[in-house]
Amino acid sequence: MIENSCYAGKILTVDLSKKEGKRQKMGDSFALKYLGGDGFGAYFLNKLVPGDADALGKDNVLVMVPGTLVGTVVPTAGKTGFYAKSPLTGGWGEGVMGGRIGFALKQAGYDALIITGIAEEPSYLLIDNDEVMVKSASHLWGKSTRETAEEIKKDEGDVIVASIGPGGERKVRYAVIDSDERQAGRGGLGAVMGSKNLKAIAVRGSRDIKVADPKKMMELFDKWYHTMIESPAFNDDGKYGTGEFLEWMNAERGTFPTRNWREGVFDERKEIDPYYWAPRYTIKNKACIQCAKPCGKAFVIKGKYGGELDGIEYETLFSLGSNCGNPSIEALAKANELCDLYGIDTISAGGAVGFAMDLYENGIIDRREAGMELTFGNSDAVVEMVEKIGRREELGDVLAEGVKRAAEKIGKGAEKYAVHVRGMEPPAYDVRGIKGMGLAFMSSPRGACHLRSGAYALELTGKFWKYEGVDRFSAEDKGQEIADMEDFMAIYDALGVCKFSRGMFLLDGFAELLEAAIGKRMGEDELLVVGERINNLKHIFNIKCGWTKEDSKLPPKMRIPIPEGVAKGSFISEKEEKLMLNDYFEARGWDKKGIPKEKKLKELELEEFMES
Amino acid sequence: MFVKAIPEKCSGCMTCEVVCSMYHWDVVNESKSGIRVERKSVTEDIPHLCTHGKDCNFECIDACKFDAMKKKDGRVYVDYDKCTGCRLCEKACPINAVWIFEKKAYKCDLCGGDPMCVKYCSQGALELVEEEI
Repeated sequence: MIENSCYAGKILTVDLSKKEGKRQKMGDSFALKYLGGDGFGAYFLNKLVPGDADALGKDNVLVMVPGTLVGTVVPTAGKTGFYAKSPLTGGWGEGVMGGRIGFALKQAGYDALIITGIAEEPSYLLIDNDEVMVKSASHLWGKSTRETAEEIKKDEGDVIVASIGPGGERKVRYAVIDSDERQAGRGGLGAVMGSKNLKAIAVRGSRDIKVADPKKMMELFDKWYHTMIESPAFNDDGKYGTGEFLEWMNAERGTFPTRNWREGVFDERKEIDPYYWAPRYTIKNKACIQCAKPCGKAFVIKGKYGGELDGIEYETLFSLGSNCGNPSIEALAKANELCDLYGIDTISAGGAVGFAMDLYENGIIDRREAGMELTFGNSDAVVEMVEKIGRREELGDVLAEGVKRAAEKIGKGAEKYAVHVRGMEPPAYDVRGIKGMGLAFMSSPRGACHLRSGAYALELTGKFWKYEGVDRFSAEDKGQEIADMEDFMAIYDALGVCKFSRGMFLLDGFAELLEAAIGKRMGEDELLVVGERINNLKHIFNIKCGWTKEDSKLPPKMRIPIPEGVAKGSFISEKEEKLMLNDYFEARGWDKKGIPKEKKLKELELEEFMES
Repeated sequence: MFVKAIPEKCSGCMTCEVVCSMYHWDVVNESKSGIRVERKSVTEDIPHLCTHGKDCNFECIDACKFDAMKKKDGRVYVDYDKCTGCRLCEKACPINAVWIFEKKAYKCDLCGGDPMCVKYCSQGALELVEEEI
């Protein structure tokens, strides 16, 4: 099967300590059992990383896997995943990006790249088809993500680069990996690279990517391409990007977290709404590879924070905008740009700045400790604090640890203001008024996350896929819903398809695309079993790392009712939290402590991974 | 007839490169595509492809010593039975629209009159111009 499919057929392991690479052949049965992307990632982390490994130490392993369909014509199949033990959560770490790096890896002949050990000096890894080299990056240390890529291209020619910035070097616990201004954003995988002295991965791949049935594939491409450009999302995303629904989230749903989750409506949102800024500042659309529906934007801004900048996504409009009470699109664009250049996650960075502002306004940190007038709404302070986090200076050094560790360090009751699940700062969905997403934040294998389940649209509109009539204010019957959505979305991550296509491709679409790509038909049910297997495997990794049921809990602020707007009065009680989590464990076939039962492991052929 | 590129509209998605190589060679390999997009900076993505005489004097045809670069019905194309990958066409092209990969030249051949890149460019960054040159 593999020889005549879009799989490259080999896995490359590079030991940075020994400066050597090893190639392994990949078998059909392995490919079909785990598919690719997060499936391979979950397999390798379980096999290679000891549960007690220091996420920033020599025993952690960084795995990069392009999704199965990456490198084919399938629309939006451009996603590559990075996996390691997360320095932010201490468990399963996963970041997915739309840069070209995974496409290049496949063309170089590999379905996965496994990086072990620590390089003796700052280095970058060059994979030039069959040749693998660990080269000195002393001259690149300290440079931004973008400069690093440019410098390497000057020396190596036509290569695709994934790099870290100074944030990753300084092991900011939510540092990102960047390729083509796309980021593997969450959970600090850039810090894992930094801890390995690995500044960048550069790949030149020249091989053809085949598919089992090229003619059928082109027919399917034509069909899905037209489905995509004729969908309403084509215009909305094209014009306004992912923040298109910001006004709706505020006015119609009342669940746009504001001022470190005090409120669910940001009254000062005028400028940060894409309907305001896109027509004024956007000069062009920027796409991930293979996407006909680009949500990325290139931006030109004048004034104090002026320049040519990368556009702003929905989550960032919250994190560095409403969450800090920041009404200025110019300051927001600048802070976003600084995050990209230092190589840190905008969601966690904004979460940390908003948290610090909350502490400042509540007298837990003073002016001297803050180093600035750190009040909500001080736009300049947002920009300045992001820079301090990127440099790990003063309070920025504390915030670079993430809000959970920062609260422990600061003490004085700071925990009350730290909004996180298992150490990860949440994205822009005020789950007090979207209760199923409250469960999704708890159940997600990587900490507070909207994308592992992708259930926010279902919760907020009430229907999607096989679900309808879902009530976002109710905590009843959420277990099966979230488990199903997670299994469905795991297939997106395994195949490397963008979740903004989830209104377009349902499982039947994947079944036929996969058949054209690898020559093997997997039905919808079969695909869902793979999704379930992958989610169990991620959870098993978390258990190995010491996860217990008590870790999956919502932060204290979720007990305080939303003060105004259409979701006014809504919150998640302790009882609801427990109900949802137990419901979820049951739906998953796990016991009351959240440990997968033997029967389930057997069913998913995962017995070998679970120690009794 | 030629394909006009409008870089200001290009999103850098690579769909043109991918469909071009699929259409011609049944595989995805942007080095075998007749169009290449240069991702220059955050704001610049520049498609490169042959304009079949619009921006040149057919230097590639003159440069080729193997009679491998041919012109028929206003279209310039590579005769793969004759191409040796010697790079003379690549060097001669004034607009960077021919390249060599594994000893063969690759360039736009207009897909028989219905270019795939134009058909599947969702951003309108590629336009088919029907004018006689």
